[in-house]
Amino acid sequence: MTSRIKISNILSNIIILITSFVVLVPIFIIVTAAFKNEVDIFERPAALFTENSGLFNFQQLEMFPRYIWNSIKVTFFCTVIQLGTASTGAYAFSKLKWKGRDTIFLLYLMSMMIPIQVIIIPQFMIIRSFGLYDTHLALIMVASFTVFGTFLIKQFFMTIPDSLLESARLDGAHEWLIYWKIVMPLAKTVLATVLIFSFRWFWNEFFSALIYLTSPELKTLPLGMTDFVTEYMVYYGPQMAAAMISIIPVMILFISLQRFFIQGITASGIKG
Amino acid sequence: MNTKSLEKTPWPTVLSFLLPGFTGFVLFVFLPMLSTFLISFTNYSGGPNWKIVGIDNYLTIAKDKHFLQSMVVTFKFVVIGVSLQIIMGLLFALILNRNFFGQTFFRSLFFMPNVLSSVGISLAFSLIFHPTKGIANQMLEFVGLPDSPWLTDPSTALLTIIMVVLWMSFGYYMIIFLGGLQSINPSLYEAADIDGANGVQKFFRVTLPMLSPTMFFALTMCIINSFKVFDQVFMMTGGTDGGGPAGSTNVVVYDIYQNSFRNFRFGYASAESLILLLIILIITVIQFNNQKKWVTYDI
Repeated sequence: MTSRIKISNILSNIIILITSFVVLVPIFIIVTAAFKNEVDIFERPAALFTENSGLFNFQQLEMFPRYIWNSIKVTFFCTVIQLGTASTGAYAFSKLKWKGRDTIFLLYLMSMMIPIQVIIIPQFMIIRSFGLYDTHLALIMVASFTVFGTFLIKQFFMTIPDSLLESARLDGAHEWLIYWKIVMPLAKTVLATVLIFSFRWFWNEFFSALIYLTSPELKTLPLGMTDFVTEYMVYYGPQMAAAMISIIPVMILFISLQRFFIQGITASGIKG
Repeated sequence: MNTKSLEKTPWPTVLSFLLPGFTGFVLFVFLPMLSTFLISFTNYSGGPNWKIVGIDNYLTIAKDKHFLQSMVVTFKFVVIGVSLQIIMGLLFALILNRNFFGQTFFRSLFFMPNVLSSVGISLAFSLIFHPTKGIANQMLEFVGLPDSPWLTDPSTALLTIIMVVLWMSFGYYMIIFLGGLQSINPSLYEAADIDGANGVQKFFRVTLPMLSPTMFFALTMCIINSFKVFDQVFMMTGGTDGGGPAGSTNVVVYDIYQNSFRNFRFGYASAESLILLLIILIITVIQFNNQKKWVTYDI
């Protein structure tokens, strides 16, 4: 019996090691190839550095400072707005009593099934009729709410006992005061989780940018990276430099705040 | 005593909380959803001249080999992709659910690809799967296997994309399953021990039934997410013709995108969209109805 447990342990450890290798190789390739020339990328993929390594690939990404700035701008506004609308929405869905509440929330949840491509044509027409085509505001508007974030915050709000709110209500406090002074301070962890998820989502968001932005000077980072696909640029060095720029901020965020990522996913899974 | 709690909140207060997010939902999801339904009965192409064509778009789709192929590609993607993601997710959750040094480290490491940019990752895999001199082929040669054309051949392109998606998301399902495993009441295992159950019996009689709500959630999410995969297809097999070699990676969402924003067949694309949504809806409803048969919500 013990020997069988030992064997299964050894087997598990081997699987873990192989998988770690498979997970790390693409990241290693991105980070090292970003500094290599085209020959070394293919001839010496395993080398951390070669004598030819340098920053030349990054120097070719002339438009990228602009793309990075655009991404920071759009991500910032989307994240802040989502945090606001998700927390007030969650409050309305969990702490206020009104007719049709559960029906509308069900509608919210069901909309998670819809692939964005299914509704993109009318959405595009609405954005265009607002005169927002080819603006950053278009991306911010279509992202002004988050079903996932609302759901996550609502789940947390439901764990706050109503008696806590009742005493404030009996003292005549307005709902907005209760929301701001009592409920929100208790929800710091779940708010941080939603903040991180929104940040990650918008930093990586690709499809809306692809549809709504055409001016090169407005492109966000993920859209900027399609320059390589559409303009048939076959040089891999600059591509990896761009990929590195796009993954490093999220990796740093993840490594320092992984607790929130894991919590957010676990919370959505168990109670879902 | 406190009747106030039973009262309904006044509407102005409700709306002041609800509308900031709900307005966006109505404008950019709910109304577009209804409009897609209406547009699918027209030949709208973005210009001022359009007319109602009834169910013509649906009749065209029914005869369209291109759409049929796209459907087949999507189903292949969903069936293979979902099976692999769920099995890998469950396997690694079980492996990492033991107490050992570095458990947290590996949990984070395997989940990390999920937070990275799918566009950036797709660029990296385009390099790795380079048909002649990519690292993937160099490794195959190293262990004495023949080269693979990866993304450039109709027989391997879709599988290659599934592998990239698997690389990015097995860690997500692993985290979900880990949460499920950790919520299983330990006394159930103690009881099984007293009854003399072995490891295999414990897995099938305790772990799997107790994990069934989590499995249901993971399966539902995974199927829905798999129907939505777009970025990897666009980046790795998009290019100028699009949809991969011989349309072998042309999943329906990509075909909808092509028909909407490259061919400007808005009416036709809307009809495709509606059929896709109907399929997702039917699968989800079937899952919800079937869950009574295999999902345990006891204890």
